[in-house]
Amino acid sequence: MNVSDYQNEFNKIIARKYFPSRLNSTRQKAFSKFLDIGLPTKKWEDWRHTDLSFLNKNNFRISEANDAPENIDFSKYKIKNTHTLVIINGHYVEHLSDAPKELKVLTNYEYLEQNDWKQKDKKDTPFDLLNTSLCDSGMSFIIEPDTDIDKPIHILFICSGSENLIISPQVNIDINRSSSATVIEQYASETSSFFQNNCVFASVKENASLNHLRIFSNANKTINISSSYIEQSENSNYKYFQFVDSGALQRSDIYNSLKGTNSTCFLSGLTLLDDDQQSATYITTDHIMPNCTSSQNFKSVLNNKSSGVFNGRTIVREDSQKTNSKQSNKNLLLSDKATMNSNPQLEIYADDVKCAHGSTTGALDNEALFYMQSRGLDRESASSLLIRGFVIELMEEIENKDLRNYLFNRFDKWLIKNNK
Amino acid sequence: MLEINNLHVEVENKEILSGIDLKVKAGEMHAIMGLNGSGKSTLSNAITGRENYNVTKGDIIFKDESILEMEPNERALAGIFMSFQYPTVIPGVNNTYFLRAAVNAKKKYRGEKEYDAATFLKFVKSKLKEVEMDAKYLKRAVNEGFSGGEKKRNEMLQLLCLEPELAIMDETDSGLDIDALKIISKGINKYKNSSRSFLVITHYQRLLKYIEPDVVHVLIDGKIVKSGGKELALELEEKGYSWLES
Repeated sequence: MNVSDYQNEFNKIIARKYFPSRLNSTRQKAFSKFLDIGLPTKKWEDWRHTDLSFLNKNNFRISEANDAPENIDFSKYKIKNTHTLVIINGHYVEHLSDAPKELKVLTNYEYLEQNDWKQKDKKDTPFDLLNTSLCDSGMSFIIEPDTDIDKPIHILFICSGSENLIISPQVNIDINRSSSATVIEQYASETSSFFQNNCVFASVKENASLNHLRIFSNANKTINISSSYIEQSENSNYKYFQFVDSGALQRSDIYNSLKGTNSTCFLSGLTLLDDDQQSATYITTDHIMPNCTSSQNFKSVLNNKSSGVFNGRTIVREDSQKTNSKQSNKNLLLSDKATMNSNPQLEIYADDVKCAHGSTTGALDNEALFYMQSRGLDRESASSLLIRGFVIELMEEIENKDLRNYLFNRFDKWLIKNNK
Repeated sequence: MLEINNLHVEVENKEILSGIDLKVKAGEMHAIMGLNGSGKSTLSNAITGRENYNVTKGDIIFKDESILEMEPNERALAGIFMSFQYPTVIPGVNNTYFLRAAVNAKKKYRGEKEYDAATFLKFVKSKLKEVEMDAKYLKRAVNEGFSGGEKKRNEMLQLLCLEPELAIMDETDSGLDIDALKIISKGINKYKNSSRSFLVITHYQRLLKYIEPDVVHVLIDGKIVKSGGKELALELEEKGYSWLES
C-alpha cells in the first residue's frame, strides 16, 4: 500500500453516512498526522528489527458490513467453559455471541457518547493514527462495580473472506471498582491476507482484577499490529499472558500505567515462530505511584528463518518508592538462521526500589541432549522434552485449566511440526 | 561383553587416546585409573558415543557387535550406561517423567509392555530405597537443586531402573561424602552379577576400598601402561603415578 491507497480508504470511511460526523474532525487530524510522519522505516529505533515490506507490497481495503461470510466454522476456535463473543472482520456479531448477563456490551459510539465523546489518549504512532483514522468497528465491554464474572470471556476476532482487508477495531475493556474478570482476546484469520491494526484500552479500577490473555493465531499471510493501553488504579491487579504461534507479522505495543498505589502488573508471554514469521513485543511498564509490583517474563522458541523482538522497558518514576520489578526474557533458537533481538531496559528515578532484569538466548543444550540420549531416548524425543521443559514454567502460570489445556494443545501441534 | 581394539580417539583434531586395548568379560569389574588429562573421560565418552569424540582408528565391540556407527541412544538401548561425572541439570523436565520415558524406551526396544504412570511410580519407589534417596527428588526437574551426592544417587537410581549390562562409572566418587559413597558402593556390589559388568573410572583409589575390581588398568597419556589385580590400586596410592611414566 502506498500513501494514495491509504487516502482512498480514508475517503471511503469519511463518506460513510452512518458514522457520527462529529468524529470526522478527530479522524481528519489523525490522518493528516499519519501522512506527515508516514509509515515507520528501519531507521526508526523502535522499528529497526521489523520488516514491513509485506504490508507495503500488498493492498488492503476497509471492510464493508457484508464482508463477513456466514458460513464460518467456529467450533475450531471454541475454548471449553468460556463465553464467546464473536467479531468478524471488525463487526460484532451478536447472534453468534453469548455474552454473560453481567457484561455490558456497547458499540464504541455508545461508549464515547457515555464518556462525553472523550477519545482516549494514544501514543500517536503511525499505526495508532491509522487506527483512529480508519476505525470502523470494535466494541466496548464494561463490568459494573462489585461484579465477578466466573467464566472467562473469549473475544474472538476473526478475519474471513476472500478479499485483502484492513481492519481497525478499537476495543474498550472497563473493569470497574472491586470487580474481576478473565478476558481472552484471540485473533484468528483464515486464508486470505489481512492487516489487522487494533487498539485495546483496558481500565482496571480500584480493587479490581483483570486476567488478560491474548492469542495470536493468524493465518500465515496476516499482519497483526496491536497497541494496548492499560491503566490501573490503586489496589488493582493486572495479569497478562500473550501467546503467538502463527501469522506473518505480529507486533504488540503494550503500555501499562500503574497510576494507583499497591497494585500489581504481571506480564508474560510465549512466542513460537517458524518459516520467516516475525513477532515483536514492545512493552512499557510505567510505575507512577509507590508500592507497586511488576514483572515481565517472556520466552520465545524460534525455528527456521523467523525473527523475534522483545523490548521491555520499565520506568520507575521519582515518586514510585518501594517498587518491586523484574524483567526476564529467555529465547531458544532451533535454527542458526533464526534471529532474536532482546532488549530489557530499566529506567529508575526513585531510590528505594528493587529491580532486576536478565536476558538469555541460545540453542538447545547439547549436554542435556547427550545426557538424555545416553539414557536411551532418541534425539527427537530428547529435544521435544527439552523444548517442552523450556516453556512449561510459563504455561503453568495460566491458572484456568481449560485455557492452559487449549494453549498446551496448540503448543504440542507446533512442536510436532517444528521438532525435526 | 566389551572389547576395545587399538582405539585411537581425537577431540578437536588432537589425539587423546592412542591405541587402547581392553577386554571386559561378562560379570567382571575393571577399574581404569589415571591422572587428570590421561584420557579416562575420553574413553567413557567414546564408548557412549558423545559428539566430537572421533574414533580415528580401531574398534569398540559390545556384545560381539561394533558400536561405532550407533547413536548414543542406540548404545544405551543395547545395554551400555554411563554414570556421569557431572550429571546434567535439565530445567523444566520432571525427574520421574524423564526416567519413565527412558525406561519405556528400553521396554519398547525389548518388545515389552511399557509402564503407565502409576505402575512406574511403584517400580521407581522400590528402587529409591536401594539408593536411600528421598522421594521429593522425583518431583523436581532432573538434577535441579540436587547436591553433588544427590546427583550421584540419581545416577545410581537410573542405573537400577535401566538395568544395563555394562555400567561405566565415571569418577563416581568425586564430590561424595562417605555416607553417599558407601550407599553407591553397596548399590554397585548388589547390582553386579555374572552377566553384568562394570568399568569404573577413577582418579583415586578411594572408591576401591568399597568395591573390588577384578582388573585395574593404569592410563597415562592415552595408553594403558600397566594392568594388574586389585593390589595395583594400592601400589598407585602409595607410589603415585610417576614411576609408571616413561
